[in-house]
Amino acid sequence: MENKIAVKVDDLTVAYNYKPVLWDIDLEIPEGVLMAIVGPNGAGKSTLIKSILGILKPIAGSVSIYDEPYEKQRQLVAYVPQKGSVDWDFPTTALDVVMMGTYGSLGWIKRPGQKEKKEALEALEKVGMLPFKNRQISQLSGGQQQRIFLARALVQNASIYFMDEPFQGVDASTEIAIINILKALRKAGKTVIVVHHDLQTVPEYFDWVTFLNVKKIATGPVKDIFNDDNLTKTYGINYKVSIQE
Amino acid sequence: MSSAQLEIQLIASLVAIACAIPGTFLVLRKMAMISDAISHSILPGIVIGFFITQDLNSPLLILLAAVTGIITVILVEYIQKTGLVKEDTAIGLVFPALFSIGVIMIAKNANDVHLDVDAVLLGELAFAPFDRLIISGVDVGPKSLWIIGTILLITIGLLFAFFKELKVSTFDTGLAASLGFSPVAIHYGLMTVSSVTTVGAFDAVGAILVVALMIAPAATSYLLTNELKRMLIYAICFGVFSAISGYWVAHWLDASIAGSITTMLGFLFLAVYLFAPNKGVIAVLYLERQQRTEVSLLTFLLHLKNHTEERERHVNHLNEHINWQKVRSKTVLDLAHKNNMIQLDKNIVSLTEKGEDFTSQAIDYIITNQDSKIEHMKDDFFLFRG
Amino acid sequence: MDIIEYIKLVFTDYTLRTITLGTAILGAVTGMLGSFAVLRKQSLLGDAISHAALPGIAIAFLLTGAKDSNTLLLGALVSGLLGTFWIRGIISKTHLKSDTALGLILSLFFGFGMLLLTFIQKQPNANQAGLDKYLFGQAATLLESDVWMMAIVTGICLLVLLLFWKEFKILLFDADYTKTLGFNTKIIDILITSFIVLAIVLGLQTVGVVLMSSMLLAPAAAARQWTNSLSVMVFLAAIFGAFSGVFGTAVSASQNNLSTGPVIVIVASIFVLVSFIFSPTRGLLFKQIRFIKNRRDLQLHKTLAFMYNIVKSHENISHPHAIKILNNFQGYTKSTLQKLVSKNYVTLNGSMWSFTEEGFKIASNLYNQQTDNNE
Repeated sequence: MENKIAVKVDDLTVAYNYKPVLWDIDLEIPEGVLMAIVGPNGAGKSTLIKSILGILKPIAGSVSIYDEPYEKQRQLVAYVPQKGSVDWDFPTTALDVVMMGTYGSLGWIKRPGQKEKKEALEALEKVGMLPFKNRQISQLSGGQQQRIFLARALVQNASIYFMDEPFQGVDASTEIAIINILKALRKAGKTVIVVHHDLQTVPEYFDWVTFLNVKKIATGPVKDIFNDDNLTKTYGINYKVSIQE
Repeated sequence: MSSAQLEIQLIASLVAIACAIPGTFLVLRKMAMISDAISHSILPGIVIGFFITQDLNSPLLILLAAVTGIITVILVEYIQKTGLVKEDTAIGLVFPALFSIGVIMIAKNANDVHLDVDAVLLGELAFAPFDRLIISGVDVGPKSLWIIGTILLITIGLLFAFFKELKVSTFDTGLAASLGFSPVAIHYGLMTVSSVTTVGAFDAVGAILVVALMIAPAATSYLLTNELKRMLIYAICFGVFSAISGYWVAHWLDASIAGSITTMLGFLFLAVYLFAPNKGVIAVLYLERQQRTEVSLLTFLLHLKNHTEERERHVNHLNEHINWQKVRSKTVLDLAHKNNMIQLDKNIVSLTEKGEDFTSQAIDYIITNQDSKIEHMKDDFFLFRG
Repeated sequence: MDIIEYIKLVFTDYTLRTITLGTAILGAVTGMLGSFAVLRKQSLLGDAISHAALPGIAIAFLLTGAKDSNTLLLGALVSGLLGTFWIRGIISKTHLKSDTALGLILSLFFGFGMLLLTFIQKQPNANQAGLDKYLFGQAATLLESDVWMMAIVTGICLLVLLLFWKEFKILLFDADYTKTLGFNTKIIDILITSFIVLAIVLGLQTVGVVLMSSMLLAPAAAARQWTNSLSVMVFLAAIFGAFSGVFGTAVSASQNNLSTGPVIVIVASIFVLVSFIFSPTRGLLFKQIRFIKNRRDLQLHKTLAFMYNIVKSHENISHPHAIKILNNFQGYTKSTLQKLVSKNYVTLNGSMWSFTEEGFKIASNLYNQQTDNNE
């Protein structure tokens, strides 16, 4: 690829308490790809993006975004956490949650105003949630909650998007809506990195893939490396997936 | 030592044992705060019982108070089930309300009730020997001794009878249910025992000390062992030790016995918290440091194995690229060198045969998580003992 | 004393005015901060902190010999913070869970505090320090200077809350995400926790160590039931807290022998109870009503579907059938039949019933929907 490198991970090693979870990960993600991170449970997929984003502190290694350290480039990055990581009974509305996406660019103390509200409404529109903007978040379905999270990241207007299992526990129509948005992001030249569970849909949804199981097994275009050999290396057993052409 | 002193210590020790047994299970089941709730909310039960019986040591009063304890648990669980508030909030809402009712009832009837709120919180252990149980004219000892002794006997009986069930349901509720032990029955059984023990101990040592005696010995022993039987025995020993030493501290300071027993428990916990061999803070800090070095070492070896290019294997690369501070990279380099895992050639590092071998094994372990592959490495490395 | 007289007294009597104002301010600030504690799942932390403050009060007295409440509360603050950090240490450094850590610190600190208190009482120069009031609170001992202190702290707290509202809100909702936006979550966290500890310490003199946590939780738990907006919740919690303070003071002032703490807690608990039952959206009463209504609708539908099954084999939909054949069906009752008649789905003629045109249409729709769902 002649493309620029959007995210570069060097020798990243992370340990949780007593247990090492990621070992010496080197990863280069070119600009403009829609990439899936796949691997078995406990392979460190979420840990990888959390440590790229500075939520977890790695023991060793470094992360750079467009050749600059992550801390300097934070505003280029947006994050969609796992849906289950927050308390959905929190007293707030869908619009309010999406507005949170603007807090980063606002910085300390400054309050969101009309401009931010307009951006949030546009993002809600994009994910098809505008009619629900004043709905209390606990009264949304799982798929709708996921769309709200996606909208919050869209508001950040970033260049690189990290998403942790955005398809988990959502209905079919939400899944289609989300993948369409992701593809639109890629078309606009954004880089999207998704922790993904469902191997069947990898060839259909993504053009780039990273196999991860504590170590990086392989990374590259789906059409080149998404094969039984790498799947077996990652999942440990004879793993066969029929790849639809 | 007078016989009154001896009796006080005996009562305190029995209370400590009676509390340590249910306390161990409460701590293991992450329900420690429930004991706090029960100890507060049985107050109205005690007051009502006292109005009826006019005797703080009557079995009816104990029964009524125990029922209040169960009601507390049910109320807390009901509120949790409605989903209106978070689980811990439910506890925090119920017991202050019930306790307040109790305090107000005492205050409104201050003239009729020989209960005062200080005694509720602190107990009157010093006076326990003066309230004697007299059966057909024969003085058989202090009433509290008999009460707590009976409760302790029942508790021990239940512990032996249902040890297996308690153990299974504490560590694996699902398994317990599938084996045919009802987790609900065991849950409420434990709650009943805790309530009865709390009431029995209440008048001797007060509400707060009951909580301390239930939680502190169990928590302290949990830092020393993971094995249930040993944990029970340690907890009982800690409880009895604090009871007796606490008594003498109180004697020396001329202060509250309950307060000083709690203080002894506190010191005991603090000591174990700091110095416990594997789980104490000092050991943990040491372990974390050790682990960091080992993870670094392994990362370093892995890096060497992954990269054949000389540029990646240059000594300076460690500092620049792997992003370690100078000190640590030097430690790691020395450690690897000392163990004959690497060799240096004009500042280019490469793995020795031993290093290659070691790294492959480590990778195998990391990926498969199979302990058998690293049995022999456990002696040298904390990392793999998890 | 009747109510109007009491209200007059509140405005004229210096002592009563002071304590009413004091408990109102206290209720407001604890309600406000309590909302954060409740939403962070730290409800019981307040209980632990307030108990942990007791030895601080005793030690401050032993060191200075002062009865001045600000000195004593400074001791309480230090010891409360110490307890809070030890709890965090236990949770992060050992495998003990948070409930064990809370219970431990709560009971151990409190026991130690009681040891010191009883020790102080036995001292010859203790001049009966009146430290007892810190157990259950004695609003009557509040001085104007104490109320000023509360007002100032509340003012600062309000200011910080308004300034960092956005940061507090996002941290409470999603801490990891907040970090990725570049906020220093540790600073926000320490800010919130310190203010919670401060509010608790302020309340010790009025409500007491034992029941202080309830002041934090009850108004917030009640407020949560009435709104789905964080700002309204915080505002309502402040109002509920203030009212609990004022009412509680009134009741305890009008009776002999009553500590303020328990009465305020009872009032606050009544707020909670009422909110749990009568809140329009979340309340148990309306939930139950909705539940019953749904069940009734379901019964009606079941009856209609059953009738449809009988009728569909006939050419003529208004062909009459005996009521008796409905008897072997459980959803049928006299009242459901009456309801169907009143909705004009069914006509009754003696002991016979028959569908109307409209009823048949509705029933066939229902029936088809049901079979669709089964597939």
